Amino acid sequence: MRPGDLLVLLLAAVLVSYLYLAFWGPGTAGEYAVIHANGSEWQKVSLHEEHEWQVPGPLGTSTLEVRDGRIRFSDSPCQNKACIHSGWLSHGGEAAACLPNRISVQVIGRDRRYDSISF
Amino acid sequence: MQADNRSSMILQTTREDHLIAWLTALAITIHLAESALPSPLPGVKPGLANIITIAVLVRFGWRVAAWVGVLRVLVGSLVLGTFLSPTFFLSFGGAVASIAILGLASLVPGRPFGPLGYSVLSALAHMAAQFGVAYYFFIPHAALLHLLPVLMTAAVIFGIVSGTIVAAMFRSSEKRC
Repeated sequence: MRPGDLLVLLLAAVLVSYLYLAFWGPGTAGEYAVIHANGSEWQKVSLHEEHEWQVPGPLGTSTLEVRDGRIRFSDSPCQNKACIHSGWLSHGGEAAACLPNRISVQVIGRDRRYDSISF
Repeated sequence: MQADNRSSMILQTTREDHLIAWLTALAITIHLAESALPSPLPGVKPGLANIITIAVLVRFGWRVAAWVGVLRVLVGSLVLGTFLSPTFFLSFGGAVASIAILGLASLVPGRPFGPLGYSVLSALAHMAAQFGVAYYFFIPHAALLHLLPVLMTAAVIFGIVSGTIVAAMFRSSEKRC
């Protein structure tokens, strides 16, 4: 083995590990989220500004909280609170929904972590 | 029917032409044998015909290696019936890129590379170019990028395998002489 061979192997290892990090690493953070209410788009909200959004639905008002580039359902008038248990969403493609109150939120980013999700 | 008025046309061939023909025939044989092997992923195959290109590069220089590399892909595709199909363009793009990088690498002063280094460089260039062609011309979808790390890992592994085979070939031929 020549000295150049070793160098090539090292560079190849670096390149391949970089590729794994770049393409298999954590997805890119979302830029904004789209909130749907009653089947139509209610509002696009930025994930960079802290805010609590009060979204009206058939059961009452759901609260969505934006903080540190993430969004979550923080309060909901529904029974099982599945939307709140979905927790924080921060990556493109992530979504949570409150079916009883007909409200959903999806994070939009440069990349989407999922093509589609079914519940 | 062709008239016989050009009864004798002799093509002058040089020793180098014969050499290229012999070596290309060898590379094509390996290329064809390998095309019969099943592949887990499109675009991933051991690339054993590259052994010939690397050995030729080390033994006879870049000019001959470039001929052998390009002719192998051209004739291989004609025999397999993939000429001018997407497979061919993937293969051809890969071959051109790997020959280009071999040319650059053999120009480095002090000749620091042996068969292993050449082989890994050429495998990486081949895979990268093939991926580039696939991505820009055939499937421009971001999801394809997720395959890139796996494909490049395969390229490195197969590059090391072929390079090791070439090095072993030279070692055993030196012993016999």
